[in-house]
Amino acid sequence: MKFLKFLSAEEIQAMHEATLRVLHEVGVIWTHQTTLDILTDAGCTLKGNRVCFPPDLVMDCIARANKRPVIRGRNGQVNELGGGNLYFHNLGGARDVFEAQSGTRRIATQQDVVDAARLLDALPHCHTVTPFFTPRDVPGELMSLFMYRHTLPHTTKPVQGPGIQFAEEVQYAVEMAAVVGTPPHELTLSLSPVSPLTVHDHAAAAILAMARAGVICSNLPAPTGGATSPMTITGSLVQQSAETLSLLVLAQIVNPGCGVVYCGRLGMLEPRTGLIWGGVELGLASAATVQLGHFYGFSVNVYGFSTNAHTLDAQNAFERGLNAAIPALAGADELSGIGEMEAGVMGSYAQMTLDNELAGSILRLRRGLSADAEHLAVEVIQNVMDGTRNFLGQKHTMKHLRAGELALTKLAERNSWETWEGKLGRKQMADYAIAEAERILREHVVPPLEPQQEAELDRIMAAAERELVE
Amino acid sequence: MHEELYKQMAQSIIDGEKETAIELAQKSIELGIPPLDAITNGFVVGVNYIGDLFGKGEAFLPELVMAGEAMKAAVAVLEPELLKLGEAREMMGRVVLATVEGDIHEIGKTLVGTMLSAAGFEVTDLGVDQPAEKIIGKALEINAQIIGLSALLTTTMVRQREVIEELDKEGLRPRIKVMVGGAPITREWAEKIKADGTSEDAVGAVQLAKKLVGKE
Repeated sequence: MKFLKFLSAEEIQAMHEATLRVLHEVGVIWTHQTTLDILTDAGCTLKGNRVCFPPDLVMDCIARANKRPVIRGRNGQVNELGGGNLYFHNLGGARDVFEAQSGTRRIATQQDVVDAARLLDALPHCHTVTPFFTPRDVPGELMSLFMYRHTLPHTTKPVQGPGIQFAEEVQYAVEMAAVVGTPPHELTLSLSPVSPLTVHDHAAAAILAMARAGVICSNLPAPTGGATSPMTITGSLVQQSAETLSLLVLAQIVNPGCGVVYCGRLGMLEPRTGLIWGGVELGLASAATVQLGHFYGFSVNVYGFSTNAHTLDAQNAFERGLNAAIPALAGADELSGIGEMEAGVMGSYAQMTLDNELAGSILRLRRGLSADAEHLAVEVIQNVMDGTRNFLGQKHTMKHLRAGELALTKLAERNSWETWEGKLGRKQMADYAIAEAERILREHVVPPLEPQQEAELDRIMAAAERELVE
Repeated sequence: MHEELYKQMAQSIIDGEKETAIELAQKSIELGIPPLDAITNGFVVGVNYIGDLFGKGEAFLPELVMAGEAMKAAVAVLEPELLKLGEAREMMGRVVLATVEGDIHEIGKTLVGTMLSAAGFEVTDLGVDQPAEKIIGKALEINAQIIGLSALLTTTMVRQREVIEELDKEGLRPRIKVMVGGAPITREWAEKIKADGTSEDAVGAVQLAKKLVGKE
């Protein structure tokens, strides 16, 4: 299918040039000496506490990067990013759990990290599992590592690493990835630079460690348009691109050819509350991020499902539907957000099952239409007109139903009023989603790791605890 | 007396016109208006107005920031005059602000600082990634009544508790009150770690600070 484009080739070129100007003329705040030396040796210059990147160096580093990395699950599932497929993954790092049945929220624990991984493992349209919740029953220093540790045994799908902040976390995450068989170059880790254009010492050291270990950098600049980046979406995207490319330059100097995913997490300011905006501009920004990333040949990962809503209501459905469908139609390689609520602060098990169904519908949109002779079906029309004058009994009908002309949904309510009110007791989609989540958590069994693998993960976490917790 | 000028002063804050606010402050000095009157009858009226609108969801956060910046600029012009007269704007209280150790985000904290200054607090902003002992040391040094602790990350919000525990250990509470804030901070969290309060936004933070120093 032809991808949706909001920007012309000239406009993308202008955004590219603006990005290079920001990197070269404005620069990025950067004070970590070891990495500064690496950057200046490669031709970067210093302007006070900012480092300026020459355009040629930026373009060389982009050319060097492995822009189509592969991540693998222990079930053998392989996600080839940038190969034309759309992969969905869940929200990472939610603070609270929304209990859809009671309409209440609670603080997430380690058990929620486990349960979320297990539920996502069962959802066919969730292709990659990211540690979902931030458990508050572990020390803050170990939170990211515990998220990864508890996710690995509870899914066989490819696991994306947690968002990290420190070099020490990189080392332990790489060790844990090796335990389940994922070579380090199939492990993705994400780090968020501070917007605007600031790479703190911890962040610089962490990127250095990631590059040296050959980890796929899926860094997540997360500017907020109107607060930490320009109010204009294209201006914010230029800044976001400069932020992610500055990290890429370091990684590619240190380890030429290491994998990268071009990620965008631009949010816009809710100007009346200071929170993050969940409206349709998010989808627009994500779609434009895809277009800009594809211009460089990257595989692109952006926000998908996203809303400000606090319940499974109408606002929730329309915001997340638009915010995911628009970048999907723009050609996104990965969309995040399965299970997300309240602009990423909260997640819910019922939401995960709803998003699985929405993802299925979006994948159907991405498949588009075919207009070959088989699909135009002139002979079938001829046969029907000569015969029964309906298409119900045609082999062609069943063939294409089975081939997925309609992406059949499981949770959406599609019965008559009578059936709905009578037999089905007025149940709505959200009711089915809650029941489906409960069923999966009750029934779904994930093949466990070997006991020695579990012991090894525990050993790594114990070592991490000795080093990282005061 | 000078009603028109006071109105213009308030309006310059409401419009977030820093340059105009500075000019009007200078003009008031030339006219011999007591600087405290200019602040109280003019500029403060504007800050309160925009703060109320924001509280009702009718003003935008950027407007609030611009008003706060304009207010700070106008007060900076008038302060030397106050000193000459041996007067001072009624100081609401001294506040130390910091983002906790391990966290490097600060836009929300900076905004709270601006609004507290605009409201008449003396604010010392230590910046980001600040360990407990440094925050407490500064609070003791300047005799602060309030410490404001910011955290953006779920992984670092636990550090807010460490500062509070340290204060308790040193027997410095309730002399020093603690306000906590940041994206992951909820009222339940503030209660759990025995903070003296939290607010979702900068306007609420000013109200809370006033309450904590008994000047509501």
